[in-house]
Amino acid sequence: MDPQNLDYINQLLDKDVELREKIKDQVTDFDKKTRTLTGLLNRIHSTPPNQVPELIATVTPVLDSCKETTAALAELIPPNQFWRWKDMWSVSLRNAVFAAVLVEYLRSGGLLPLPQAAEALGIKDEWQDRLTLSAEDYLHALISMVNELSRLAVNSVTMGDYEQPLKISTFVKDLFAGFALLNLKNDTLRRRYDSLKYDIKKIEEVVYDVSLRKLAPAQSEQALA
Amino acid sequence: MSTVLHSRGSILGAFDHFRDELDDFHDRRERLIKSSRDVTNLSKKVIFLIHRSLTESNNQSDDGETSLRAVSRAKHKLKEIQDLFAAMREEVAGDRFWRYQRNVSPGLQEYIEALSFAHYLECQTLISYAEVQRSLSDAGGVPYFPLPLDDYLLGLSDLTGELMRYAISSISRRGGRSKANEVCRFVRGCKADFEGLTPYVRELRKKQQVTTQSLEKIEDVAYAIAVRSSEYDLPAELLDDIVERTVSGAGFRTGEDERDRGRRGGRRSGEDEDGDYD
Repeated sequence: MDPQNLDYINQLLDKDVELREKIKDQVTDFDKKTRTLTGLLNRIHSTPPNQVPELIATVTPVLDSCKETTAALAELIPPNQFWRWKDMWSVSLRNAVFAAVLVEYLRSGGLLPLPQAAEALGIKDEWQDRLTLSAEDYLHALISMVNELSRLAVNSVTMGDYEQPLKISTFVKDLFAGFALLNLKNDTLRRRYDSLKYDIKKIEEVVYDVSLRKLAPAQSEQALA
Repeated sequence: MSTVLHSRGSILGAFDHFRDELDDFHDRRERLIKSSRDVTNLSKKVIFLIHRSLTESNNQSDDGETSLRAVSRAKHKLKEIQDLFAAMREEVAGDRFWRYQRNVSPGLQEYIEALSFAHYLECQTLISYAEVQRSLSDAGGVPYFPLPLDDYLLGLSDLTGELMRYAISSISRRGGRSKANEVCRFVRGCKADFEGLTPYVRELRKKQQVTTQSLEKIEDVAYAIAVRSSEYDLPAELLDDIVERTVSGAGFRTGEDERDRGRRGGRRSGEDEDGDYD
């Protein structure tokens, strides 16, 4: 190979190596934050409903701190190279989105849409080609939330909250109906989607147990409330 | 917050949007995989075309001329492949390229292998990164898409296998032994150059092993020639004559004979798709 070409190649390689290191540093940081988030959110399984707002208050600052990380990543990624590097942080990003959508569910009982989830993590529209929240990552986060909610359905009954399972059941069924609209290929998203039915089954069983023993308010009452 | 979705209807609306997005992604992916496969097929044809042109029996013309004829035929075909890449341009515009890079890369590597083979025959050098990128650019020099360094290096790494076939099949031709030695030196150089880059490029390690095997095959042939020709104290010219007379006297069609040799020596383990020569 002629030396000039070899030099050029080495330059390109060095640049990539350097960039990869920098991204890795940010991802390590990101990972720490999302682990804190999941740690905090794990407490929902032992927090009575009236204390949930306090729990959310402890989560919010950590969630906000993710904005620094996304900004730093967007700064690092060269134009048009989002998809080249995204695998490095997609696990962390999915976990962060999972936290954001779960918090929103706990707060309002509704679904935080993708653009708002991106906003919650400080991801800006103009970063489109460098850092963005892809539909795939968002959907993965939703599945994680459903996994978590099926546990919550069980544990809220243990804590004496008999309404929660009914709310979860409705919400999760809506999401499931949404997933059913997608033409999924044989990828990880598909496999995780297939696992949703076990979560639904678990939630259904809880709902069954609760209503059989007349522990929950009747459906009609709940609708009025 | 009004932006939060509470009703099933609004949730389904959001998923409708995701479906369109995912469908768009899968469809584009399929299209690019198809294009990449077309590129691969055409590239293999170019490589076979070059081998065929090089071993065609015409003993009159000298070696450089044979190479150049092969190159000019190959260039014509390579243009077809470049047109395929040009057609992919829209599909991989902007940030999309890196999303589909893995789907495009098999064809791209095969193309680089073919291109670099033709380039070697023309210039006896390794084609540079800039030259490959230029071949994938429009008339104004604007690239259809950025050339990934990995694909460039992996494509080049495959070239050594083709050179091995070339060296071995030209050995019984006039001047073939010095040609084989020349190729041998060149492949040795490639191997050394790639060695330093191996830690940075994932699949290169495996390819380096194949390169090593190819190199050994050429070296073995060079050895056999050296040992046997030492039994005759004849100048190279005269040896060429003897070999040539023997080959034609035995009633073989040279082309066939050489291809057969190439095949016997040329099979690389684990690379079945390249094994078919005809």
